[in-house]
Amino acid sequence: MKPGMTARRIACIAMGLLGAASARAATQVLVVAGLGGETQYEERFTQWSQTMAGAAITATGNKDTVVRLAGEAATREAITRELARITRELAAGDQFMLMLVGHGSFDGNEYRLNLPGPDITGSELLALLEKMPAGVPQLIVNGTSSSGAVAEKWTRANRVIITATRSGGERNATRFAGYWAEAMTQDAADRDKDGAVTAQEAYDYATRKVADAFKADAALLTEHAKLTGSEPGRFVVARLGAAALFASDPELIALRRQQGGIESRLAGLKPLKTDLPREEYYNRIEPVLVELAKLGEKVDARLAALGVKSGGGNAVR
Amino acid sequence: MRFVESPRMLAAACVAGLGLALSMAATAQQIDYDSARPAALRKCDEPLHRGRVEDARACLRPLLRDAAPVIRAEAAWALGDLRNANEFFREAAAAEPRATRPRVRWGRMYLDASQHADAAKLFQEALNIDKGDRGARLAMARLMAEQFDGDVMDQVALLQSEDPGQVETHLVAARVSIERGELDAAVRSAQRALTLAEQQKLPPVEAQTLLAAIEVVRNRDPGQWTRAVLAYNPRYGTLFERLAHFEVIRRRYKEADVWLKRAVAVQPDLWSAQRELGLNMMRLGQMTEARAPLVAAYEGDPFNTTTVNTLRLLDSLAQFEIIDTPAPALKLMLNKSESGPLRPYVEKLAQESMALFSKRYGYTPEGPVGVEIYPNHDDFAVRIAGLPGIGLLGVTFGDLVAMDSPSGRKSGDFHWGSTLWHEMAHVYTLGATRHRVPRWLSEGLSVFEEWTTGPTPGVSIGPNVIDTFAAGKFLPIAKLDDGFMRPSYEGQVQMAYMQAGLMCLFADQRWGFAKLAQFLRAFNDDAMTTATAVRTAFGVSEEQFDREFTEFMKLRFQAYLTDPKRWANQMQRAHTMLEARNFPAARDAAQATVMMLPEFTSEGSAYEVLAAAEEGLNNTAGAIAALTAWRKAGGWDPAGLRKLGALLLAAKRDADAAEVLAAVNYADPLTVDGHDQLGALLLAQRKGPEALREYQVLLALQPLDTAAANYGLARAYRLTGDAAEARRRLLEALDTAPNYRPAQKLLLEMTGDRTP
Repeated sequence: MKPGMTARRIACIAMGLLGAASARAATQVLVVAGLGGETQYEERFTQWSQTMAGAAITATGNKDTVVRLAGEAATREAITRELARITRELAAGDQFMLMLVGHGSFDGNEYRLNLPGPDITGSELLALLEKMPAGVPQLIVNGTSSSGAVAEKWTRANRVIITATRSGGERNATRFAGYWAEAMTQDAADRDKDGAVTAQEAYDYATRKVADAFKADAALLTEHAKLTGSEPGRFVVARLGAAALFASDPELIALRRQQGGIESRLAGLKPLKTDLPREEYYNRIEPVLVELAKLGEKVDARLAALGVKSGGGNAVR
Repeated sequence: MRFVESPRMLAAACVAGLGLALSMAATAQQIDYDSARPAALRKCDEPLHRGRVEDARACLRPLLRDAAPVIRAEAAWALGDLRNANEFFREAAAAEPRATRPRVRWGRMYLDASQHADAAKLFQEALNIDKGDRGARLAMARLMAEQFDGDVMDQVALLQSEDPGQVETHLVAARVSIERGELDAAVRSAQRALTLAEQQKLPPVEAQTLLAAIEVVRNRDPGQWTRAVLAYNPRYGTLFERLAHFEVIRRRYKEADVWLKRAVAVQPDLWSAQRELGLNMMRLGQMTEARAPLVAAYEGDPFNTTTVNTLRLLDSLAQFEIIDTPAPALKLMLNKSESGPLRPYVEKLAQESMALFSKRYGYTPEGPVGVEIYPNHDDFAVRIAGLPGIGLLGVTFGDLVAMDSPSGRKSGDFHWGSTLWHEMAHVYTLGATRHRVPRWLSEGLSVFEEWTTGPTPGVSIGPNVIDTFAAGKFLPIAKLDDGFMRPSYEGQVQMAYMQAGLMCLFADQRWGFAKLAQFLRAFNDDAMTTATAVRTAFGVSEEQFDREFTEFMKLRFQAYLTDPKRWANQMQRAHTMLEARNFPAARDAAQATVMMLPEFTSEGSAYEVLAAAEEGLNNTAGAIAALTAWRKAGGWDPAGLRKLGALLLAAKRDADAAEVLAAVNYADPLTVDGHDQLGALLLAQRKGPEALREYQVLLALQPLDTAAANYGLARAYRLTGDAAEARRRLLEALDTAPNYRPAQKLLLEMTGDRTP
């Protein structure tokens, strides 16, 4: 369970997953890797964007809704074209995710993403985002240097913005995007072990990793990531292991529905944790957890029947 | 004591700031023996030197209105008004731009205030005006002597030949001789200074103080001289402060405590002695008691950087946790922010060292051994020297060790486990000899223990050490203390550490450890010298020891010494070939380099190149062998250890991998990554307590993935038989991650355990 989540919210997520399968709601994803300038950055940006795009495919279950622009293909024109296309295709109930990797800059007025040919500005990107249907939730992850410059300007309802820096003044090449990409593949990022890495989990993972890396180098932290907007947990940025099967196998969908019911009961007990003596709280949750664990055995059995080995959480391998 | 960076850092550390740091308060003003001293000042000398404070003040006050700024400056200085004295000296120097004396005296005032860099600037200014100026050269010699900076004796001898009647040159010579342990020479110099002082009707107290110090260093009663000094000036607290100084530099802090208490008893307003008393109490672990004299020093001299820094440090100790452990007793002082993850490793390693060193050196500390670990290096530096910027990693004050925390430095910068091991060895070598062990031997045994019994066993040394030996710069055993106390070239302190370690290694291999321990214990005899101890313990003369040691070095490092250039060329070739991805050539060059000097394990070593080349050739076994050899030779860099661990895991050598990954904790324990993996390996080996430690540390590091950490902890508790705590941890894991399948399986297993 995500920290701070209500039972109502969990039910919504469960329904959302099922809805995604039944009503053909889609998540459109655009990953852009800007110009590296040096070989080491070119390699990094390519690798990170590949990981993000690959993870997005596991999250959406549809490679056709995931587009990656990198190297010479990552031009202002191409970005404009892809965002216009996505805007046309987005429908009610869909989600949109944009991930930017590369070198950003800020001259005091305008943010720019460094691209082959003309750069694209923060204002131009915002104008394209604003053309999207208002009801479509947007997740914008700008992992570039100086990305904090856009955080406030891009804020609007239904949009979550994650930037690698807290301001345009943090100009050093960032590490955030690398750890964001790493979160897409790590069980450790999936803190509630439900097999899905949400934007909130990935953000927490990446910011902690950035802080740890600077600490290990005994260096001053030169980038401070920032998250604005509400409910980042609604965006699933990666699914680990066999979790994606939950969206396609009818038996697993039924089991997931049962799991959701038990999780709701657990969520109802959660507030007691601060009120009850710890042992008493454990006594209350234990039978519910046992029930959920037994359901987990059924999930394992179904996965085995599908030829998938069970592993950690729903992140079945 | 363990060094990092340059030994010159010690000198740099003595710089307390610029002129504004000068205090308003009285310091122990050195006696001006200059025959050119202005007559106006001389009339106040008698009450001043005799300690008749009010008479001296009455005599000096009118001089504050003297027309000559240098007279006003001297009067203000003697009255303790250093700020005004500073301004008057500035005025005097400006008025006489080509005069040396005002600048020398001005610098002397800074010297008294321990602002050595400012003093040096003024002495140099005087020397720039007249490079032959004896006053400036003498002041510079005294400054160098106080900073333990190189050999000043040549300069002193020259000054003596130019002016045999100058008292202070003999005083400096006496002081340096005491610090070198050349006590007969020290007596001659001090006696000469005393005779000259008496002949010139100058105060005899400094010469008598040094004669008293010589008695102290000879472990004899200095009463004859202390009575003489106090008869001349009953308020001459500098006497006892100086005796304490010679105790402190011999690391006899308890004895220093006695002298310092006498210093402040005879002269309560000797703020430097109050400060030193507080600092020394801290060396004795008396943190609470130290506050009173430090506060007294602060109230009398509020601008002294050392006092202010130390009081601030004492205020910050609320951020530390004091942990008393069961026997062998430790008193750990760890910062609350890291005591959780650090304590298990510190406690384990320190207690292992205590058990081992007790046996090896036949000594057991009476009380608990204190271990203080500072996450902020500047706090550590203030703890040991009152000032930030010291290039040290750890220091031992008898039964108390203070050191840097691994969190205070970049990962891979230092091996905290070896540092602790090194310092703990000092506790035993000092204790076993009642602090009579020579500096070189205590350091040498600590280095030797690092190489042979510590957490990174292996004689790890670089080519620069062998080059220094080949250049004939190693010191004879009887003179090795000079390498620590009075380095004569850049980097000599580090060389002295290495040479001392190698001499102990040689003695161990030549005569066995029992003889080496006997050699150490010989210093329990108050009159023991290194030369006599060598004869007693090893049955050879010091010259013979040096000859045999030289042969040992030539034999051990023969492969390198035969052609050092070839080693350097092969090393360069190994790196170049690796970069060019010519793995066979890189491997051949790296192997040749390792063969020539297997002791070189530092960053960029040939072992690393060899491992990378073997990997490039898809030879995992070869890479494992290279890194294993590197580790056996003393390599410890956390990245290298993690690499070795990963290779061993890939080769399904889980037990070996666990052993290697456990070693990472003594280099880099505060990184979250790795504890979970190690815990799982230990669980698989059914090592419950060890696994429990890893998961406890992991949780103390506040990982993001608390579910996995609690799940690991649950399994470890279950393995150790604590079912109740295992259940709690498991339910905590599932409370965070209800669908965590491995935890769910364990829950069903454990509830099944409870169901009949």
